[in-house]
Amino acid sequence: MTAVTERRRIAAPSTAQRIRNWILNPWGEPRGLVVITWIYVAISIVPVVVAIMFSFNAGRSVTAWQGFSLTRWYLDDPRSSVIGDPRLQHALLQSLKLAGLTMLIATPLGVMLALGLARWRGRLASASNFIMLFPLVTPELVMGVSLFLVFVNLFTFIPLGTTAQVMGHVTFSLSYVVVIVRGRLFSIGRQYEEAAADLGATPWETLRLVVLPLLLPAIFSSLMMVFAISIDDFVISAWLSCGSSCDTVPIRVYSSTRGAPLPSINALATVMVAMTLTAIGIAWVVHRYMTRGERRTGKQGGMTQAMGAFDL
Amino acid sequence: MSGGEIELIDLNKHFGPHRAVDNINLQIPGGEFFSLLGSSGCGKTTTLRMIAGFERPTSGQIVLDGADMTETPPHKRHVNTVFQSYALFPHLNVFDNVAFGLRRQKVEPDQVKRRVNEALELVQLTSFEKRKPAQMSGGQQQRVALARALVLKPAVLLLDEPLGALDARLRKQLQVELKSLQQQVGITFVYVTHDQEEALTMSDRIAVMSNGRIEQVAPPEEIYEAPATVFVADFLGVSNLMDAVASGSDATGRCKVKVGGFDCYAGRGSADATGTTKVTIRPERVRLEPKGTGGENRIPGTVQRWVYLGNSVQLIVGLATGAKIQALMQNTGEEIPYREGAEVAVHLPATALRILEDTGAPLASAED
Repeated sequence: MTAVTERRRIAAPSTAQRIRNWILNPWGEPRGLVVITWIYVAISIVPVVVAIMFSFNAGRSVTAWQGFSLTRWYLDDPRSSVIGDPRLQHALLQSLKLAGLTMLIATPLGVMLALGLARWRGRLASASNFIMLFPLVTPELVMGVSLFLVFVNLFTFIPLGTTAQVMGHVTFSLSYVVVIVRGRLFSIGRQYEEAAADLGATPWETLRLVVLPLLLPAIFSSLMMVFAISIDDFVISAWLSCGSSCDTVPIRVYSSTRGAPLPSINALATVMVAMTLTAIGIAWVVHRYMTRGERRTGKQGGMTQAMGAFDL
Repeated sequence: MSGGEIELIDLNKHFGPHRAVDNINLQIPGGEFFSLLGSSGCGKTTTLRMIAGFERPTSGQIVLDGADMTETPPHKRHVNTVFQSYALFPHLNVFDNVAFGLRRQKVEPDQVKRRVNEALELVQLTSFEKRKPAQMSGGQQQRVALARALVLKPAVLLLDEPLGALDARLRKQLQVELKSLQQQVGITFVYVTHDQEEALTMSDRIAVMSNGRIEQVAPPEEIYEAPATVFVADFLGVSNLMDAVASGSDATGRCKVKVGGFDCYAGRGSADATGTTKVTIRPERVRLEPKGTGGENRIPGTVQRWVYLGNSVQLIVGLATGAKIQALMQNTGEEIPYREGAEVAVHLPATALRILEDTGAPLASAED
């Protein structure tokens, strides 16, 4: 008992092992993955950064840097800046108009469709459920051609133009709304509706006082999502366009870059990127604000996580 | 307080070929604390949901205070539910949650305020009005759910495993509170649980369910002391189930049974039973006697395990019939002479041996 047992000698980890451990970092962030993630972020953001950079070019080239000008292609150039060129201005307005209308039409429709699909069972519901996913899987070009043919041959009372463009946008952005809202509906479950009915609320009161307030974050996400999708859209807008007066920003950018592009096009695109980012930013902030009561720190975790809610 | 009498008549609920609730008949008088006890999937929750109106019965009737409400939608029924997950509206604070039902009834605002405060007082949550459900503990949320249902003064309160999500200590405490609350407000409670202890401590009467059918309806003591069927005995943890063949009553009114080839008499349960069934005896009623002791209801056996429990000693005895039974012997300070391996005569007194009805329900203990 008195003999002291000799301490066993344990070899220190080899250099190779240490390098391996540094990369994998088993007790922290895996550094290898961190590096790959940053490379991915850099690669995907470089083109956007370059495009934005050239909108501040002092010269007329979109490929050669000729010095910095903050406002030439946005405000100053009398004929070809975003402000100076009426075609660019018009494209911007048309894009905003389409995106705004699409957002306001597709979201309520999508919410209603999601409510129906999530709460009804039967053949009709599963059929619409399937059809609803079509716009998500159909190539946009095919969607565009089909819509074009529909408006030219079938719905001849609607001429190509803003109305047709809005309808086209609504058709394909509806699916996104349904996916978002239905996800939230499923994660909320039926318990709150049952509780409301149990407490004497009519189905309409249940919808108004319980379901819609709980869906608000999803509804808001949908609004912003649709706005961002619609303002970015090129194919459908182009197919249903009535000519240059229906041109949206993407169409304008496309036709200009095929001719002699000026940095004003980059400026226009930059304005668009800013608007899309703003939309997503607002959506994120509002979503955080609306679900603040559901989020809780500490070991019990947030109810948002518990309910598997849709998070931006 | 009167009212709150529920009657379920030939109630059925089928999901496709599955009979979730299979021809249930129940009568629950007003003011009773009634429990539906059973393992998961036995149909207890479906029964409760039918009373609440969330499920539509395949056939049968639900009668509340003499009025058929089988076809009444949930929002028009004078019953309220405390959900297992509480289902408190996360976007409303405690006050608005409790006031929700009152406002649907178009109660005057000052009345709403008074009644909500009363209800919150009843569940001891007076200073929590402005909190959101997510800012409260499970036990507090549970009380809000109770207040939200009770504030409407329902004829019947339905509770779907309301304590299921709480830890053991809180559950014990709330069991007591729930029971006294029920006596205080005097309305009918229909309580669904899978926890036999919960059902035994709180209920006036218990219905033990299995496979969508009711096995036995009786007060807790009777359920525990005199289980009618094999399933009830097994579910309540009354072990010592032994296969037996019954052959009707003898001259003294006891049932003659053959337990694995040994003739015995069962003095409790249905004396007229015949055919294959099971008999049971409580571990504390089993007597161990020296090997070879004669007399009726004695079966030879061998002590297989000897477990010291402090106030008593538990002995697992392998009977000559092949069955294993438990015997519980009080620790009176005297030496218990039967150690592992000892051969004994197991005396199953006829006054304690109960014959059970076998309804064929799968037993919980058979799973392990």
